[in-house]
Amino acid sequence: MSKIVVLGAGISGHVAAAHLRRKLSKQHQIIVVSPNSNYQWIPSNIWVGVGRMKSESILFPLAPLYKRKNIGFIQAKAIEFHPEGDDNTDKPYVTCEYVAGANKGESEKVTYDYLINATGPKLNFEATEGLIPGKNKTYSVCTYTHANHAWKGLSELIQEMKNGKTARILIGTGHGQSTCQGAAFEYILNVEQELRKHKVRDKAEITWISNEYELGDFGMDGMMLSYGKGAMKSSEMVQMVFEERGIKWILGSAVQKVEEGLAHYETLEGEFKTEVFDFAMLIPSFSGHGFKSFDRNGIENTEKLFRGFMIVDADYTKKPYEEWSVQDWPETYQNPSYDNIFAPGIAFAPPHAISKPRVSKNGTPISPAPPRTGMPSGITAKLVADNIIDMIKHNNKKLNHKGSLGNMGAACIASAGFGMMDGSGVSITTFPIVPDYKKYPDTQGRKLGKTFGEIGLAGHWLKLALHYAFIYKAKMKPFWWLIPE
Amino acid sequence: MEAKITESQKRKMTNPVIQFFRFIYLSLKILFIVEGGHGGTRNRE
Repeated sequence: MSKIVVLGAGISGHVAAAHLRRKLSKQHQIIVVSPNSNYQWIPSNIWVGVGRMKSESILFPLAPLYKRKNIGFIQAKAIEFHPEGDDNTDKPYVTCEYVAGANKGESEKVTYDYLINATGPKLNFEATEGLIPGKNKTYSVCTYTHANHAWKGLSELIQEMKNGKTARILIGTGHGQSTCQGAAFEYILNVEQELRKHKVRDKAEITWISNEYELGDFGMDGMMLSYGKGAMKSSEMVQMVFEERGIKWILGSAVQKVEEGLAHYETLEGEFKTEVFDFAMLIPSFSGHGFKSFDRNGIENTEKLFRGFMIVDADYTKKPYEEWSVQDWPETYQNPSYDNIFAPGIAFAPPHAISKPRVSKNGTPISPAPPRTGMPSGITAKLVADNIIDMIKHNNKKLNHKGSLGNMGAACIASAGFGMMDGSGVSITTFPIVPDYKKYPDTQGRKLGKTFGEIGLAGHWLKLALHYAFIYKAKMKPFWWLIPE
Repeated sequence: MEAKITESQKRKMTNPVIQFFRFIYLSLKILFIVEGGHGGTRNRE
């Protein structure tokens, strides 16, 4: 009998737990440890943030589902890793602290045979002074509670605008090294559409602020896309959309401090500027959770497991941008020191960024961190689950399931406005996620055709269809596994 | 050269009939890309 512990119940953790449960017999124990009581389909937070969906539509409680499916669930947060056990036990374990129920505040040693760290990122709001969701007129859509706050703030502003107020809206990244520009891109387009629906668009100045060097970088170094019968750069595509919607933009900027209605930022030119706003949604930087690890003797060995995020089979050798290659990126997400520990999704430490790193004239890094959300999180979680299943069933230590972001496609269906007949979406796929400049030297490292962009109502329908399909899948309803990650 | 969304493109982007077929096409195309597989990068050369 094997015991597999999954830390985290987001897209990655939940996918891993679901596949493990489906493919392993009941004699094997699967336990999910998560501080969250609910599963949430994060991509739809955008619609919660503009009042087009209730948060209840994008979440469901985990405990009843896990009970039904014979998956153990501990509502707790991981604190410490003990991958060699300790004086009292040979079994490796994770110390967890209960966050709810009768045991709230108590710690427990959760032992394991295999550990999947799918703890995702810490939303590092503290890295930007004054960037606090719901305070200083700034909001976030990173969680459903944040998105609810955002809609409350936006709807109040819309009411004021209906009474004649003119407003400035600022949306983008809230730190020099934030990622997830895609979410902010979706939100700015949805907000713009909501203002039009409420007939107050003429009263608002909407500005995109971002750490990207060019529009459409998305933390992926931009893309050359098939578009219509030709090809187009993602920068041109986003510029085209922003101009169509009357959205201004500020690029190469690191927001460093937020005060009530004021965003102070530094530019790549080294200038310090301030943008005034009545409503802002700024994505924070992501960081690791600050976990610590200890060896059998209780001596800290965090450097074996973490460098911010978890260390996996990537090549972490420091090298200049020109020498980066797809081979640097991990294939199996296995920790090199402990072969029973894996970190799929956002929990693994990337070898480096994807976008070209840039610093301001003052030495401040201003360029996006690599995005690893949604689809790749699901794919990497599934391949980790499949490798563990092989290890358990066939005692096969050779990991046959591989999935480098340098050899994996991803789809990003960005909502550009909600509405069955007047909605819109920007559908982008990219292959590979990490550009392979050696293999595709003439098309910015991507395969044209598999990397394409399209704008239109169909994109909105597609995003809505994915919303229902993935919630169906997450609820593990009949034949859920037929829906790909 | 700066790209712009033309009026004719805009009409196509909002026409529900055209978009219905684009929806089918996009769904299949994305499925093909996602299901097209993934793998390692280190031993392929």
